[in-house]
Amino acid sequence: MTTQGKSDLLQGTLDLLILKTLATGPNHGWGIAQRIQQISQDVLQVNQGSLYPALQRLEQQGRIASEWGTSENNRKAKFYRLTSAGERQLDAETESWERISAAVARILRTA
Amino acid sequence: MNGFRSLQLGIRSLLHRDQVEEELDEELRFHLDMETAKLLKRGLSPAAARREALRTFGGVEKTKEQCRELRVTRWLEDLVRDVRYGARTLLRSPGFSAVVVLTLGLGIGANTAIFSVVHGVLLQPLPYAEGDRLVHLLQQAPKAGLEDIGVSPLEKADYATARSFSAVAEHHTMWFNLLDRGEPERVQTGVVSADFFKVMGIRPLLGRTFAAEDDKPGAEPVLVLSYAYWQRSHGGDPTILGRKFEMNDKTHTVVGVLPPVTTYPEDDAIYMPTSACPFRSSPHASTERRMRMTSVVARLAPGASLERARAEASAIARQMQAAHPEAYPADRGHDATLTPLQEEITSDARPTLLILLGTVGLVLLIVCANVANLTLARQLGRERELAVRGALGASRGRLIRQLLTESTLLALAGGALGLLLGAGALRLLMAFAARFTPRAGEIAIDGTVLLFTLLVALATGIASGSLPAFLRQELSAVMKEGGERVSTGAGGLRLRNLLIVAQLALSFLLLIGAGLMLRSLWSLHRVDPGFQPESVLTAGLDLDWSKYPEGPQGRVVQDKMLARVQALPGVAAAALASTFPLDDSEPVSRALRIEGRTSPEGQPTPRIDLRVASPDYFRVLGVPVLRGRVFVEQDGPDAPGVALVNRTTARRFWGEQDPVGQRITFDNGESWITVVGVVGDVRQYGLDRDAADEVYLPIRQFPLLSTRLVVRSAVPPASLERSLRKAVREVDPEQPLYDVQTLEQARSDSLAPSRLTALLLGLFAVLALVITATGIAGLLAFSVSQRTHEIGIRMALGAARDDVLWMVLRQGALLLAAGLGLGLLGALALNRVMAGLLYGIEPTDPVTYVGVSLMLLAVAALACWMPARRATGIHPMLALRKV
Repeated sequence: MTTQGKSDLLQGTLDLLILKTLATGPNHGWGIAQRIQQISQDVLQVNQGSLYPALQRLEQQGRIASEWGTSENNRKAKFYRLTSAGERQLDAETESWERISAAVARILRTA
Repeated sequence: MNGFRSLQLGIRSLLHRDQVEEELDEELRFHLDMETAKLLKRGLSPAAARREALRTFGGVEKTKEQCRELRVTRWLEDLVRDVRYGARTLLRSPGFSAVVVLTLGLGIGANTAIFSVVHGVLLQPLPYAEGDRLVHLLQQAPKAGLEDIGVSPLEKADYATARSFSAVAEHHTMWFNLLDRGEPERVQTGVVSADFFKVMGIRPLLGRTFAAEDDKPGAEPVLVLSYAYWQRSHGGDPTILGRKFEMNDKTHTVVGVLPPVTTYPEDDAIYMPTSACPFRSSPHASTERRMRMTSVVARLAPGASLERARAEASAIARQMQAAHPEAYPADRGHDATLTPLQEEITSDARPTLLILLGTVGLVLLIVCANVANLTLARQLGRERELAVRGALGASRGRLIRQLLTESTLLALAGGALGLLLGAGALRLLMAFAARFTPRAGEIAIDGTVLLFTLLVALATGIASGSLPAFLRQELSAVMKEGGERVSTGAGGLRLRNLLIVAQLALSFLLLIGAGLMLRSLWSLHRVDPGFQPESVLTAGLDLDWSKYPEGPQGRVVQDKMLARVQALPGVAAAALASTFPLDDSEPVSRALRIEGRTSPEGQPTPRIDLRVASPDYFRVLGVPVLRGRVFVEQDGPDAPGVALVNRTTARRFWGEQDPVGQRITFDNGESWITVVGVVGDVRQYGLDRDAADEVYLPIRQFPLLSTRLVVRSAVPPASLERSLRKAVREVDPEQPLYDVQTLEQARSDSLAPSRLTALLLGLFAVLALVITATGIAGLLAFSVSQRTHEIGIRMALGAARDDVLWMVLRQGALLLAAGLGLGLLGALALNRVMAGLLYGIEPTDPVTYVGVSLMLLAVAALACWMPARRATGIHPMLALRKV
């Protein structure tokens, strides 16, 4: 509740990345962290720990859901998946992200 | 959907907290294991891999804490944990907790107690159905300066026609002798119209109240008992209905009992309808417009405003005067006003209660400041604990909440203690309030008072906890730089100094209030009442009106009784009179004319209070005779009329002239009375009220049945009571003697409101002073302990003990000077509110101001001295090594 206010750029970005990662299929926290690191080619070095509050927040917002399952190495792990609300959110945020980054890119070119 | 989902998760986290925690652990462990495994594959040693995994993760506990904070029901979980943790912490420092709880308990208790009185008397609606629609109708003779001349039954009937009133009821009080209960008993009887209880909105507890038939002439005499009388005299006997009471010359049947409500307008024991009262049912009473014996209560009609009703009553009064000029002398004027009952019943208590409420409010502020100061001091000692919690991931908000929880816990404990103290003081306060208002019986600790106490406790907890809690941020900055030693920090010390200054200033205010009240009480004590109350016993002696209807019969009986009393051993002198000083009687005044003088046209005739007395009255009371003589036995019914005037009257009407030998009249010249002497002034209506214009008439020339017996005794006066009763009953076995008390008692009673107010204000002021003194001592002691190192260095460098002493004292002196200055300004701004309660002194009374300043200085100096002494005892080497 109190965290709602401080959705700064970084946090918004992290949410977007989580949603995008989960769009390819359910995954557990560590998996999500690895994936984000791979995709961003180690440019975005987030503290892995800060992933978990973000996951919990997204779950509370109903964008993702969780259930316990078995990992690839046969251990009990908590798997997250995208809900339909999450898919809609991902579409909306992707679009707005693209718009903004396009705008920023334009400014950088012309300036 | 969102809300529902969060709620679901929230409930889960609340009900299965352990499970949720476990899952979080498990999830993070899985992450770290996976990460470690990945790093192992890259060839790191197990230990290095683990370390690296933890590093990239960045603080497991912090992450957990962040996750927990996201939980919806987090605040509740936290609350439970904070309360547990807080309680444990507080129990670990029992000294601190006890001092705080005790201080808060005293502060909150004082507020609970005073609020229960304010609520019971001023705030609660009257205990009558729609009591706010009830008004007291008073008739005035404005040109003669008479506020309340009473209302006659004929006049009441006129007012009943007003469209602004839905009903109009009458009441007057009579004292009747109740004969059939062994010793004759004198009971205060309310004589009321049949609709009185309906108008007041009082339903009977047992039986019924009066019906219209009860009020018809010749109706069977019936009675209704007040709850208090039913309990007192009949032990609440449920079979009381139908009981017969012998009174006057009739047998009355009890038909009802009233509930325990505040009795208005008088504290009557029993009630009878007008038809049963021998006085009121006489033909004269219902045909003579000037028989103004009753007081009138009206209920405003639905939709009628008070203003409209006032205008209407006033208009009716004018019509009366126009229609019956003989009953309303033009030089006296005639008018009617309405006073809402609520206002009338509570107006005497209001100023005192509001001042008391303000006083306890200030005491609570002092308490808050003191607790805040204590908390601040304690918090500095806990800085490390809090810093560790912060480092482990507790956010600033969480820590503030923890601190607030602790202070609120203390405040609630203080509130519980306060409630006990308040409940303990309730009985005393009811007795106190009864001096000012008939509503004292309504004072109770009820739901509203409980709620008030709870709110005060919570507010106190937050107020005393929030300052230190928010200040913490500044301090933690200090902590980060400062390393080992925590200094108070500029902010902390400034705040603590401010709190002490505020406490000093508020204490000064309270001490001034109490001091003024004490000085006022002292001047009342020293006032010369004009009589000598020592060794005087007084009693009411009313002859039965229906038994001695003719003057001479009553006079013979009174003479016999007086003779018997005078003959008693131990009696030095005895007299009968219409009143005795400070007896709470209402003035009876008459228009006075002096022979040979005419009052100027258009000017109202002067009025003078009448007293009737037997010859020895002045000797019994010790009232000096200044000129001429007092009454003698020869001033009988057939002798020429004589009178005495008091000094005030002599001065006002005769100036330097001698009034002795002058003639006066009270019936416009039909009969003339010669002034034969001048006696000293007596404070009849209160020690704080100057003597009125008074004339004394001899009882043998102005017979009356309701008298006061006054006896000067050679033995302790109270021991005479039995023999007095016996002497009276030897003349008439059915004659009661009532309200037997010493004149000293009457004097003490008239001082009681001032004395009790002074006592309460004094008590609160001393409480404030003690709390403030401990606060100063605590602050200085703390500051000495903080400066041990510095003081050690100073002493090592050659500072003398005196230098150290003065260094500490100077700090205290600065605080004291600031506090006194502020308090003085405050007192000068606020002392007007006290003006109404004071007698014989100004609210700016210099003696009080100087006295209070000296007292505060002395106490504060003592409070500073102790820590200063301690500072001089610091051993330089020990102090330096300690660091």
